[in-house]
Amino acid sequence: MVNLTRRTFNVGASSLVLAGLGARSAAAQDVTIVVNGSGGSLAEVIKKLFEDPFTKATGIKVRATAPVSLPKLKAMVESGNVEWDLTELNGDDVARASEAGWLEPIDYALIDPNNVLPEMAKLRDAVVRASYSTVFGYRTDRFGGKAPKSWADFWDVKNFPGPRSLENSPKGNLEFALLAAGVPLDKIYPIDVDKAFAKLDELKDHIPVWWENGAQHVQLLVDGEVNMTSCWNGRISPLKKEGKPVDISWNGGALMLSYLGIPKGAKHPTEAQLFLKYRMDPKASAEFVKIIPYPGFVPGMMELLEPEFVATLPTAPQNAAVQFRFDSGWWAQNLDKVQKRWNDWLLI
Amino acid sequence: MKNRPTTLLLLLPAALLVGLLFVLPILGVLSLSVYGDSGFTLGPIRELVGSRVSLVVLERTFWQALTVSVICVVLGYPAAFFMSGLSTKLRAYLVYLILLPFWISILVRTYTWIIILGREGIINRTLAAFGFSPVQILYTDLAVRIAMVQILLPIVVLTCLASMLDIDKGLVKTARSLGATPTQAFVKVFLPLSLSGAATGGIICFILCLGFYVTPALLGGRRSILISNLIDIQVHQSLNWGFAAALATALLIITLACLALFRLLTRGRTEFSSLGVGR
Repeated sequence: MVNLTRRTFNVGASSLVLAGLGARSAAAQDVTIVVNGSGGSLAEVIKKLFEDPFTKATGIKVRATAPVSLPKLKAMVESGNVEWDLTELNGDDVARASEAGWLEPIDYALIDPNNVLPEMAKLRDAVVRASYSTVFGYRTDRFGGKAPKSWADFWDVKNFPGPRSLENSPKGNLEFALLAAGVPLDKIYPIDVDKAFAKLDELKDHIPVWWENGAQHVQLLVDGEVNMTSCWNGRISPLKKEGKPVDISWNGGALMLSYLGIPKGAKHPTEAQLFLKYRMDPKASAEFVKIIPYPGFVPGMMELLEPEFVATLPTAPQNAAVQFRFDSGWWAQNLDKVQKRWNDWLLI
Repeated sequence: MKNRPTTLLLLLPAALLVGLLFVLPILGVLSLSVYGDSGFTLGPIRELVGSRVSLVVLERTFWQALTVSVICVVLGYPAAFFMSGLSTKLRAYLVYLILLPFWISILVRTYTWIIILGREGIINRTLAAFGFSPVQILYTDLAVRIAMVQILLPIVVLTCLASMLDIDKGLVKTARSLGATPTQAFVKVFLPLSLSGAATGGIICFILCLGFYVTPALLGGRRSILISNLIDIQVHQSLNWGFAAALATALLIITLACLALFRLLTRGRTEFSSLGVGR
């Protein structure tokens, strides 16, 4: 094994996986697992690259549902009527779900028998599916050729005038406010909530709309409703390619992880883990990232991609260096209190 | 009321459907406001009373509903009056025109307002063409109000129209032949008789307003959210279902109280008797 390159090793490993899964197909013929995800174009790609080949290899059928919803997971587990066998979860949702006991532990001996997944990707009851960044995007045609370069510029309504938008959630926004106030990247956590809200006060009146979902911030920027907004990195690159006057800055972005987990009391936990294992295939993952630029930590995947393309990903070294790791643990512990304060601050 | 057992039997399927699929789940949700993990609790209700944001939003919901209903009645009543005087054929065309937007989903109609009211929308482009700087209409209370009026106006017009068509036109003619001016005939005969329809339209409008969700979510700013949006925040963002249930209970009580108030105000007034609510 040591003499093999990582790439050949992974190709070899994934065909072993396939062979192993194939052997099980006879037993698993009538099983359908329900995999809950974000829906939309993402679901189509997942179906083509993972679900259909998985069904072909194992006989286990996959039914995809949407959307990702922590309240729904809570309702399922608490009522004992668990429909999902596997669900996507955001980082802080994982922390809350794990603490509340809504997830089954992951059997890493089964999904990662050769122990190649980096530690960063493994939690007790969830596996990293993808990474994405919340960064700021802006209209390149609104500031007379100048480009905002930091959250301090985002807050600077004199040099970069016009309405802005931020997500209707304290998550991420408190961090951005601290960065705008001059706090260095590695000193963000634990968050000084008072300081963050004081900084947000300055910008409050320049934000006519607080976005609720990814489609909305894209629309706000493209329609020219706002000149700058926080946004998810993957949503803006296709627009830029289409020639729309928009761009993003990685500086001060929040690198976030999204996970896959098995709800407590899921009907087919073993088959769900087999599918999880299947999702770790580097070749299919590389194809996936080419379409949806939210890379996971599947070993061997990055080596299959063009370096120029890797440079546009949130986990590319030069991009990762100017961002901070969004601390899901801090948020899981503090969200209730901060959310209440956020609602009072925002809605009155 | 004579064939009581038969009448009840006829009601049974609908009652079962409503009972099992509507009343029971609602009771389940409402009970969340007084039952927590450790049994009976007044926590969520205390939280509701002590929370400034929910009181502010409740008050805003009430005012938004009131202004929208009043505007709808003021705009809808003359339109209905005009239509009631037309020939049946012409009126049918106009009713069709009024129903047309009513059949388009609320979501689509709400999105359309984004195109009209936005910063690069029709209104602001027109203003810009005359050299004015853009005005912020989208993401304000005004935008929400405009869209709500547009969505609810057909209901008010049709309710007013239905009651006007029930009025015996001979009564107005009689008043005129007895020497009343057109204005007198309208104010003393037609208006009182058509008020029940206007009031019903207004009340239906008001109650629908109390539950509006999509429109304030899409067209409103942070200060435009209504009670449904606040419930949504508690369910989806805060996961505070007890508080959400307390808010839902408050909404239900306010709605029922509005109905009761309407009944009280119209008690003994003959013009409302056809509704069955004035007795």
